[in-house]
Amino acid sequence: MERFADEALVLSTVDYGEADRLVTLLTREHGKLTAFAAGARKSKRRFAGALEPYMRLRVQLVETRGSTVRLDSADIVAGYYTARAELSLIARALYAVELCRELTREHEPHPELFALLEDYLRRLDAKEAGPTSLLAFELAALAHAGLMPRFDACALCGGPPGERPRFDQSHGGAVCEACSGRAREAVVVPTELLSGLRALQEGVRQPLSPELRARARGVLNVFISHHLGRRLKSVDFMAQVGLD
Amino acid sequence: MTPDPLNRLVAQLAKLPGIGEKTAQRLAFHILRAPGEYAAELSQAIREVKEKVHLCTRCFSLTDTELCGFCRDSKRDERTLCVVETFADLMALERTREFKGRYHVLHGVLSPLDGVGPEQLRIKELLERLGDGRVEELILATNPDVEGEATALYLTRLLKPMGLRVSRIAQGLPMGGDLEYADQATLAKALSARREL
Repeated sequence: MERFADEALVLSTVDYGEADRLVTLLTREHGKLTAFAAGARKSKRRFAGALEPYMRLRVQLVETRGSTVRLDSADIVAGYYTARAELSLIARALYAVELCRELTREHEPHPELFALLEDYLRRLDAKEAGPTSLLAFELAALAHAGLMPRFDACALCGGPPGERPRFDQSHGGAVCEACSGRAREAVVVPTELLSGLRALQEGVRQPLSPELRARARGVLNVFISHHLGRRLKSVDFMAQVGLD
Repeated sequence: MTPDPLNRLVAQLAKLPGIGEKTAQRLAFHILRAPGEYAAELSQAIREVKEKVHLCTRCFSLTDTELCGFCRDSKRDERTLCVVETFADLMALERTREFKGRYHVLHGVLSPLDGVGPEQLRIKELLERLGDGRVEELILATNPDVEGEATALYLTRLLKPMGLRVSRIAQGLPMGGDLEYADQATLAKALSARREL
C-alpha cells in the first residue's frame, strides 16, 4: 500500500459508522479522493478541526485496495477563518466546494481546478470576492470541467446572438432569435446578461448589477442542473437565507 | 440450535448503535440470567419511552408532560434563553450547573451541503416564542463547526433587529488543556478570540 502526501481542500464530510468519517478531498496532484478518516469523530487530537469543509490541508494518504484512500494525518495550511465568520461567505464557500465536488470524478487530477478553488477561497477570506466573483468562479470551474457555456455566439448557427437572444441549457448557451424554434427550452435573456457573463469568462472583474446577478444565477443554475442531472443543494440554501 | 426467542432478542440488540453480534449475545444472556422482574421492567421502560416521551410544546426538548421540567421550573431565569442543536447538547450544558435560564432545541443545524434549510429546524417556533417579550438575551450554543457557525450567524441576523442581546458561546482551549497538544484550529480560534485582562 503506497503512502503519499498532497495538498488538499476539504469538499465535504460524511459520518461513517460509530466513530469514523469519510472525507471528500480535492487534492492538488491526485484530483478528487474519498478518504477514510478512522476515529475522526472520537479522537479530539488526530484530525481535530481539520476535517471541516473548505479547510486547506497538507495530508498524508495511504492507498487501499478499493477506490477509497486512508487519511493518516492532516495539517491545516489555511483555515480561512474570516470566511467562516459571515453567513454570506460561508454560503459562497460551500457552494464553490459543492460545485467542484460535483464537477469532478475521483482519481482524475485537476490541478487548475484546485488552484482556482484555492484562489477563490483566499479572496473570499480576504473579503475581496463579492457575489459577482462567485459567478466568475462558476464559469471558470465549468470551463475546467469542459462545460463552458457559450455567450458570444449562437450555439446552433454560430452567428451573433442578436437583439433578442435566448439561453438554452441543452444546447450549451446563447441561441439567436432565428434558431429559437429549434431550442424548445430556450428562454429570452437580456443582451446585457450575455455580454456581462462573457466579460466574466474573459476575466474582466466588473461587478454586475443585482438584477443581472439574479438573472445570471437563474441561467447558471439551470445550466448546471441540466449538465449534472441534479440541482446543487447549497443553491437552495442561498435562496432560503436570501443570499447570492 | 439456539431458541428462536433468544435469536430474536440478539438480533434486536445488535441493531443498537455500537453493539455488535457478540455484545448483543452477551447482553441477551445477561437478560436471560437476570431475575424475571428485570426483563419485565426493561421491556416496560422501552415501551414507555416510545409511548410517553415527546417534544415539549414550548422549548422542544424531551418530556413526558406537555411542558418539560425546564419550562415548568419557575426558579429558572426566563429572560435568558440558550439555543442548542440537540437534546444531548442541552443535557451537556445542564451538567455544568452554571446555566439557570431556559432552553430552545432546534433539532438540527443549517447544512447547505445536505440541503437542510431554516424551514427544517425549530426556528419559526423560536421566533414565535420570543413574541411575548420576556426574553432579553439569547445564547447561541451550536457546535463550533461550519454548520453550527452558519446557524448561529443566521439566527443573529434574525434576532438582532428584534433588539435582543445575542451572544455566542466561547471557543478555544479546554480547561486543564496543554497548548503543546492543542490542535491548530482550536489554537487559532483561541488566539483570535483572546480577551483583555
